[in-house]
Amino acid sequence: MTGPTEFDLLELATPYALNAISDAERADIDRQVAVASTAVATAFGDEVRAVRETMAVVSAATATDPPARLRGAVLAAVHPGKARHSRWRTTLLAAAAAIAIGLAAFGAGIALRPTPKPTMAEQIMAAPDVRTVSGDVAGGTATVMFSRDMNAGVLVMNNVPPPAQGTVYQMWLVGDKGPPQSAGTMNTAAVTPSTTHMFNDLKHSSVLAFTVEPGNGSPQPTGQIFAKLSLT
Amino acid sequence: MTTAVLESLGYRSMTGPRPSSDLDALLRQVARGDADAFAALYDHTRSRVYGLVARVLRDSGYSEETTQEIYLEVWRNAEAYDSAKGSALSWLLTMAHRRAVDRVRSEQAAGQRESRYGAATVERSSDVVAESAISADERRRVAACLDGLTDTQRQCVEMAYYGGLTYAEVSQRLSANLSTIKSRMRDALRGLRNCLGAP
Repeated sequence: MTGPTEFDLLELATPYALNAISDAERADIDRQVAVASTAVATAFGDEVRAVRETMAVVSAATATDPPARLRGAVLAAVHPGKARHSRWRTTLLAAAAAIAIGLAAFGAGIALRPTPKPTMAEQIMAAPDVRTVSGDVAGGTATVMFSRDMNAGVLVMNNVPPPAQGTVYQMWLVGDKGPPQSAGTMNTAAVTPSTTHMFNDLKHSSVLAFTVEPGNGSPQPTGQIFAKLSLT
Repeated sequence: MTTAVLESLGYRSMTGPRPSSDLDALLRQVARGDADAFAALYDHTRSRVYGLVARVLRDSGYSEETTQEIYLEVWRNAEAYDSAKGSALSWLLTMAHRRAVDRVRSEQAAGQRESRYGAATVERSSDVVAESAISADERRRVAACLDGLTDTQRQCVEMAYYGGLTYAEVSQRLSANLSTIKSRMRDALRGLRNCLGAP
């Protein structure tokens, strides 16, 4: 049975499909559809789809050729050479929630506006062997995207509290052979709600470890490892 | 003939068989990072996308910017397209329309643009020549279906879909109650759908 509330919801299918609603209404409608009975949700979806298909046909009525220069601008924004690998895309999507803020801070160049010269981060993400790992660091989240082929990685930290004044977070690449190699430091000022950090020379390291070190960092870890991410 | 035209547009019957369209295939190739497919997709759809955006934004600079953003989003998010949920063309134009409406609303919120719908306007379709993919016949047919709506129905579609107003804003401008406006919109769309030969 379709109750009064459900009837109200179905009445909104056309305005919804025409984008004739506010963002708040859209969010509210999405919530209602999510909890509606299957029959109502299906009816709503069918109506939205029918309206959108109809307006797609109606678009013939407003069709107008854009200026010719727009073609070059649109096509220049994509990189034929930048092969998009399904695995990295999937991996990236999985990490997207964790790194969304980081990407924004890191610069739209990574994902939003590919630049003619790919940045190192872009190259890492485009690498066929790119991998992503995430973990908790001091109550926040750290995500590392790395590529063995590129021998480099990007660390994105969200909501990780900064280290105490006079100390730094130091990252270490740890492998089976040899002592840990420093992968860089972040001081109090460097750690913001969203922090990104590039590192390279992964070699055969299998873990990215975090310690707190005095001053500007140490040649070898002196503090306890308080977080680590497995690079395997 | 009607069916053939709709199918050539990537329109899928909602109850009958669903012919796969060229645009669907192109979009799947774009999802795999095929830049040639992306160029072809642009060429096949640019006049519909730009025309719709320009109709909503009424400013060629904004329209070019927004069209660029739309195609960049297509390049980045083509894999989000699910052919089980509708045609490629409707996916593209829904996204394009949403972007144009978001833009016009933010411009209006910023007070940079005067409200253009103090008096309801019903404009004829542009006579600007569009890409050859859209035949004059097809344009006439769609225009005839728009003409077939009642004035009040057409006004609602104009104000909401092309003017970027919410149905609540349309109801205020027309001093009509909300359910009347919702009914007009629904009836307008049903009228168009029937006229266009959609099931």
